[in-house]
Amino acid sequence: MKKNNLFKAISIIPVIIYSITLILLPLLYIFFLSFQKNDSYGGIIYELTLTNYFTIIDLTYLKVFLKSALIGIITTVLCILISYPFALILKNKSSKVQNLCTKLVMVPFLTNSLIRTYGWIVLLRKNGVINATLQALHITNAPLNLMYNNIGIIIGMTYTLLPFMILPLCSAVFKIDKSLIEAAKDLGASRMQIFKNIIVPESISGVFNGSLMVFIPAIGYFFIADILGGGKEMIIGNLIKNQFLTARNWPLGSAISIFLILITFILVKIYQKLGGKMDDLGGM
Amino acid sequence: MKKSFFKNIFIALVFTFLYLPIIILVIYSFNASKMNVLFTTFTFSWYKTLFYNKDLLEAFFNTLIIAATSTIISTIIGTLSAVGLNKYNFFGKSLILKLIYIPIVIPEIVLGISLLSIYTLTKLELGMFTLILSHIAFSIPFVIVSVRTTISKELNSIEEAAKDLGASPLKTFMLITLPIIKPGVVSGATLALTLSLDDVVISYFTAGPGSNTLPLKIYSMIKTGITPDVNALSTLLLLATIIILTVSTITQSRKVVTK
Amino acid sequence: MKKVIMFIIVLFIVTGCENKSENTLNVLNWSSYIPDEVITSFEKEYNIKVNYGTYSSNEELLAKISSSKEGTYDVIFPSDYMVELMREKGLIEKLDTTKITNLNHLNPLFLGQEYDPNNLYSIPFLSTIVVIAVNRENITDEITSYNDLLNDKYKNNIVFLDDQRIVIGMALLATNHDMNDTSIEALNDAKEWLLKMKKNIKAYDSDSPKTFLITKETDIGVMWNAEAEIAREENENIEIIYPREGHAISIDNYCIASSAKNVENAYLFIDYLMRYESAFDIVAEYPYISPLRIEQKSEVFPGDIFKNGYYVKNIGSRMKDYDKLWADIK
Repeated sequence: MKKNNLFKAISIIPVIIYSITLILLPLLYIFFLSFQKNDSYGGIIYELTLTNYFTIIDLTYLKVFLKSALIGIITTVLCILISYPFALILKNKSSKVQNLCTKLVMVPFLTNSLIRTYGWIVLLRKNGVINATLQALHITNAPLNLMYNNIGIIIGMTYTLLPFMILPLCSAVFKIDKSLIEAAKDLGASRMQIFKNIIVPESISGVFNGSLMVFIPAIGYFFIADILGGGKEMIIGNLIKNQFLTARNWPLGSAISIFLILITFILVKIYQKLGGKMDDLGGM
Repeated sequence: MKKSFFKNIFIALVFTFLYLPIIILVIYSFNASKMNVLFTTFTFSWYKTLFYNKDLLEAFFNTLIIAATSTIISTIIGTLSAVGLNKYNFFGKSLILKLIYIPIVIPEIVLGISLLSIYTLTKLELGMFTLILSHIAFSIPFVIVSVRTTISKELNSIEEAAKDLGASPLKTFMLITLPIIKPGVVSGATLALTLSLDDVVISYFTAGPGSNTLPLKIYSMIKTGITPDVNALSTLLLLATIIILTVSTITQSRKVVTK
Repeated sequence: MKKVIMFIIVLFIVTGCENKSENTLNVLNWSSYIPDEVITSFEKEYNIKVNYGTYSSNEELLAKISSSKEGTYDVIFPSDYMVELMREKGLIEKLDTTKITNLNHLNPLFLGQEYDPNNLYSIPFLSTIVVIAVNRENITDEITSYNDLLNDKYKNNIVFLDDQRIVIGMALLATNHDMNDTSIEALNDAKEWLLKMKKNIKAYDSDSPKTFLITKETDIGVMWNAEAEIAREENENIEIIYPREGHAISIDNYCIASSAKNVENAYLFIDYLMRYESAFDIVAEYPYISPLRIEQKSEVFPGDIFKNGYYVKNIGSRMKDYDKLWADIK
């Protein structure tokens, strides 16, 4: 009996301590901070206030929220548009090819994401590889503005987050029973009908899963906006980073974070309503 | 015939998109010019200068230490927790079960600033310790989730049987549970390792003096001007990744054959 | 597998112990400011390990110092107005100048400035002014004033420093205000000016604006003098212009953070950087204006930085308005 308790203790106590000290308390603390005042030198004045929440509905910040949402949505849609055909084409290949291709999707993902983002600078800048190639082939006359703007950010986000869409979508699409599609074909269903009535319903969970794992980082990855946006295009991530690391307004930064948590929870609730499982989000 | 041609082109385009920035970096690691703009002449010299770039190497070793430590600790805690949460009921379990998903779903930046705030509040000095702690914080849930996928009803009944035969819980865990959940533990550990090696956002907020990690170092170098020895280091790391993946694929397929 | 894990654990313990060695120095400095070789030779000479971190603006420095535990950093390099602010907030310590033997290397011109009249808390390290760099291959118009940059022809063709006080200060100068004006009218004028400028700005960058000119990403840049001079070394068509309205002066100083743990090492470091040879190595790589009596590498004559130059001043709690304006125009 005693031994039983010992194992219970060593298997349960660490996770309790962990989830309380490293998850619950930090989040409760920033929730608390979001209702405090700041003294403009970086100090916190412990006085209850709603100022921070009024500040974030100011036009300046609302614009950033809207732009982030737009960037997040465009990135997610682009990822879906790339991943769906990719998964569907691979579905007809042998499992060997499927395995190889999913591994090949993983490889870039295992190298440093910043160095890959840097690779995009070399490609996208005014005298970069893409512009040089386009001009050499006489496709364009003047260099295109591919970075230091929203286009650059969207390319960078789509690139960095694509595996999060491809992998769940592939595993969902690969699981669809081929005989189901064959049967539909025999019954004279068009390709569109097959896609709409069989493939989409059978793989939609992968789309939801991928969308969540793409959209949420896409509004927070400040370093991509920073590097490919030239310091003038801000997303919510930059806003929070600036409040904490330059504007010294932790309460305001906390309020924006709480707002972001709220958005996340709403999205997760929708995901669960649509039948998504939480455990699928953590697996790769 | 034509259709399958276009299909293959599409797959090729996706891989071009995924590999283009990496190929560019590899090419420029052999470029004599420092600016990464024009390709002048072929050289291996950046691979040599790399070994004299003290800051870059130090950041690289810091990253390895943080990744190894946080992976070991989070794998141990995560595995035990997954088993414990499956086996036992206790007060507040439902809350804990909700909490562990938070690091997976909330934006990393929120976790980063909340950890920074709590470190500041408790006057913890930012450095290697806080970095390791933070990496453990975001890795554990991924390990738990990944181990849970391998815990099945069958496992529970085998454990029951072992208990009836008088095996202690620890013995049951070591001899029965662990071998069964091993694939989940391995994939959880791999995930924790990859996440830690590549983490930018959380490290950005929780690093202190003398605890630069490779991603942070590269971030600051991108801003001040990258030298091609970074390309050289990335090329070597990429090579290592590909070798490890190939070896693991080969050994896996061999196992299948011998079975 | 077990062996690998054991190896990693041993490695960790070994390196962990190594990190504990007492002889360290935690430096927080501007990016692109001291060549690595200078730091390395200091480390070798004194057997002190320097943990070197960087920041890109005074505001970032202030945030880092005020949010980290006291004693995290030893030597920091705040600019003029930030010295005053940090002194008021008790973030820097009084210096013991008897420990700095090379004090006599300083050019008195740089001492006793308004922000620290008796140099009790700060000793000048390097100074710089804001200039306009123009690539004459593509831009032939006459440019003498900040207002000339509003030209529609320069759409998406200018890089600015990512520094709120400098950029807002510049907008204030361009709209005939004092560089440190905090009145609502002045700030509104500055905001309007910057919003008009927005279409021409390709990027904000403080860490390496020179790269934009060198790689021809933009043809115009508003940047620190040394950045512009390095760009000109790479491309002789770059012209450096000293704007008519005047320029922002920035004097960056050695300061010791309050409750610094390695004070002795900090003095050794400061003294080392104040040697003529070190100072020369620094300006040879980054041609800022050294307050030491050495042969300057910059074309700006030390005495000239004060002519038509303005300091960014400590504006206390009005910083909030600047923070807000900065968020608005970005």
